Amino acid sequence: MIAKLISWIQMFNNETMLKKLKILWLCLFVPGVIGLLIKVISGERLAGYGSYVPWGIWIAVYFHAVGISGGAFAVGVIGYLKGIKGLRENLNTTLLVSACSLITGLLAIWLDLGRPFRAYRVGISPNFGSMLAFNAWMYSIFLVLVGIMLFLSVKRRQANVVNDKTGWLVPLLLLGLLLSIAYPSQSGAFFGVVDAKPFWSSAILPVLFLTSAITSGASALLLVYYYLRGESAAIDTPEQGPYPYLRKIILAGIAVYFMGEFSEYSLALWSPISHLKETIYLILFGKFWWVFWLIHVGGAIIGFYLIFNAQSVTKLAIGAFIIVTTFISTRLNILIPGQSIPELKGLNEAFTHARLNFNYSPTMVEYLITLFVIAFGLALFYFSHKILSTYIEKEN
Amino acid sequence: MAKKQSTKSPKQTDEVLRSAVDDNESSDEAYSLTPIDRKRAITLIGSAIGLGVMSTVISRIIPNPAVPKGPITTHKIPPVQDGAGEVDILVRMQNELRRALLKPMEQRRWLMVIDTRKCVGCHACTVACIAENKLPPGVVYRPVITEHIGQYPHQITRFFPRPCMQCNNPSCVSVCPVRATWKRPDGVVIIDYDRCIGCRYCLTACPYGARTSDFGNYYTEHTPEIQPYEKQPSNEYNKSWSREGHGSPVGNARKCHFCLHRIEQGLLPQCVSTCIGRANYFGDANDARSLVAEMAKSSNQMKLLEEKGTKPQVIYLV
Repeated sequence: MIAKLISWIQMFNNETMLKKLKILWLCLFVPGVIGLLIKVISGERLAGYGSYVPWGIWIAVYFHAVGISGGAFAVGVIGYLKGIKGLRENLNTTLLVSACSLITGLLAIWLDLGRPFRAYRVGISPNFGSMLAFNAWMYSIFLVLVGIMLFLSVKRRQANVVNDKTGWLVPLLLLGLLLSIAYPSQSGAFFGVVDAKPFWSSAILPVLFLTSAITSGASALLLVYYYLRGESAAIDTPEQGPYPYLRKIILAGIAVYFMGEFSEYSLALWSPISHLKETIYLILFGKFWWVFWLIHVGGAIIGFYLIFNAQSVTKLAIGAFIIVTTFISTRLNILIPGQSIPELKGLNEAFTHARLNFNYSPTMVEYLITLFVIAFGLALFYFSHKILSTYIEKEN
Repeated sequence: MAKKQSTKSPKQTDEVLRSAVDDNESSDEAYSLTPIDRKRAITLIGSAIGLGVMSTVISRIIPNPAVPKGPITTHKIPPVQDGAGEVDILVRMQNELRRALLKPMEQRRWLMVIDTRKCVGCHACTVACIAENKLPPGVVYRPVITEHIGQYPHQITRFFPRPCMQCNNPSCVSVCPVRATWKRPDGVVIIDYDRCIGCRYCLTACPYGARTSDFGNYYTEHTPEIQPYEKQPSNEYNKSWSREGHGSPVGNARKCHFCLHRIEQGLLPQCVSTCIGRANYFGDANDARSLVAEMAKSSNQMKLLEEKGTKPQVIYLV
C-alpha cells in the first residue's frame, strides 16, 4: 500500500507542471461534484448553518472571491496604466482574473440562497437601500464593463499605446477601477450596516475588506503571471516584470491589514466594558482559535517572509499562494464570530434545535461545495484564457 | 478553421497561453498614455456615482409593495356573546379586535403587551404557535426566554416570550434586497414568501433573532414515513402554503405575524388565546377603550433592546 503510494508520488513528481495542476484540480473537482449532487438532492438540510448563524463558509468564499476580483482588477489596471512591465501587455489576463473570480464568488452565494432560482428578482425588483441589492447590481454592471473592456483590449493593436483607437478603453478602465475599489469596500459595509451585530457594526470593516481584497487580488495576479510564464519562470528573477510592483503591494497590504486588525482588537480588549470583548475572545481562544492563529497569523507570517525574502520567483509564487488561500480567514474571522454572540441573552437556550444555535461548524457538504466552487473558478479561468488566447492567435 | 483548431495538441495550446506573456515582454518602447479623453472619463465616472446615489435615494423613498388600504380592508364580524358575570379578558379582547376590524387597516395598530408577572413559563404559547402555523423543525416564532436573577436561594426567575417585535423601525426590512418584506399600515411586519429569495440577510439584521429560516426539515423525516400532518399546508397571510416539493416557505425567512390569518377572521393570535396565565394582551393600540391600550399605559413597562433604535412594538410589564 505504502509502496504504491510512494510510486504514485514519484509518478506525480515526474509530470509537467500543467499536468500536476490538472491532477490537483481533479482532487478538488471530483469531491466537489459529489457535494454538489448531495446539495441538489438534499437542499439545505445537510448544511451546518442555521437561523442564528445563517451565513457560513460559502458566504466567506463569496466575499473572498469578490475581494480577489476587485483587488486583481484595481492592482492590474493601475499597473497597466502606469505601464508596469508584465501587466501592460496582459490587460486581458487581468480582466479575465477579475471576471472569473467575481463569477466564482457569485456562484458561491447563489448556492447559498434558500431559493436560488429567484435570484433574478434582485434584477427586477431591487431595493437599493439594501447593500446586497446594491452590490449585486454593481457586480452585474462591472461584468458587462469587463466584457466591453475585454473586447476593446483585444481589438487594440498598438501595444505601446494605452488607449484603444475608439478612445473608450481608458475611460472605461477608470470607471471599472472605481467599481473595483467600491465593491470590495461595500462588502465591509454589507456587514457594517447591520447594527444588530456589534462586532460588524464598525467603520473599519470597509477598510479591512478593501485591504484584504487588494492583498489577495495582487497575490492572485502574481500567481497567474507565474503560471502563464510556464517554464520561462525558471529563468525569471523577482526583480523582473510585474514582480517588484506586486510584491510591494502584497507586503504593504499584509502590514496595513494587520495594523487595522490590531487597532480594532486592542481597543476592544483594552476597554474594561467593551461589548466586543466576548466576540474577540471567541476569535482568539474559541473553538476555531486555529483559524486565527494558524491560518490567519501563521499564513500571513509565512507568506510575508517568503515574499519579503524571495530570491526566486518560485518562492515568491509560493508566498503569494499562501496569502491568497489563507486570507480567506480575514473573511471567516469577521463573518462567523460576528454572528456567534446573541444580542438577546438566553435566546440560545429558549428553544433547542440544531438550527437554533449560536455555535456553527461547517458540515462535510459545505466543505465539498467549497471545493467545487474553487474548482469551478480555476476551470473558468483556464478555459476562458485558453479560448481568448486561441482567438487572439487566429486574429493575428 | 475548426479543423485547424482540432489538430492542435494540448501542449501547443498551452504554448499559446503563455505567448501572451512572452511575446510582448520584449516591448520596451515608450508607453504612451495619450490620447485619453478626460472629459469622457469624468462624465462616465460622474454618471455612475450619480446613478448610484439616485437609485439609493429613490429606493428609500418608494413605498414598499402596495398593501390594500381603505374600506376593502374592513371586516364585519359579529361580537362574541358575553356570558353572565365577569367577562374573561379573552372575550373582551376578541370583541375589541372585532371592533377594530370595522376600521380600515391604516386606522388600526396592532399591539401586544406581555405581563411577565403572570407568565409561568409553560411554553404553551410556543407550542400553540408551532401547531397553528405548522412550523417545521428549527423554525420558531415565539420561544420563551428564561432569565434568572440572583443566586440560589435568593433567586427569581422571569420569563420573556419573544414574538416578533413588529418594530416601527424594522432593521430587517431595509436590508431585504428584493422588497419581500415590509411593514403594513396596521403595524405588522410581513414577508412575501413568493418574493423571498432566501438570502437570510434579514435574519442577521434582527437583533431579537425573531426571524428563522425554513431549511425544509420534517420532524418525522428519519422515520419510515413523513407523517401527513406535517405536510398539511399552513394558512399564514391568508394563503395556503404547501411545503411539499420544496414549495415556499421552504428556503424562505419566516417570522411571527401576530397570526394575521386569525386576526382577519376576528380571532386573537393563537399565543394569546392559548396563554393559561392570561399574560398576553392584544388589540388595537389606537382604540383608547381597549384593554391593550390601557395596559400599554402602565408605568412598569419595558421593551427589549430599545437601545438598538428599532422601536419595538411589544411591551413587557415587569
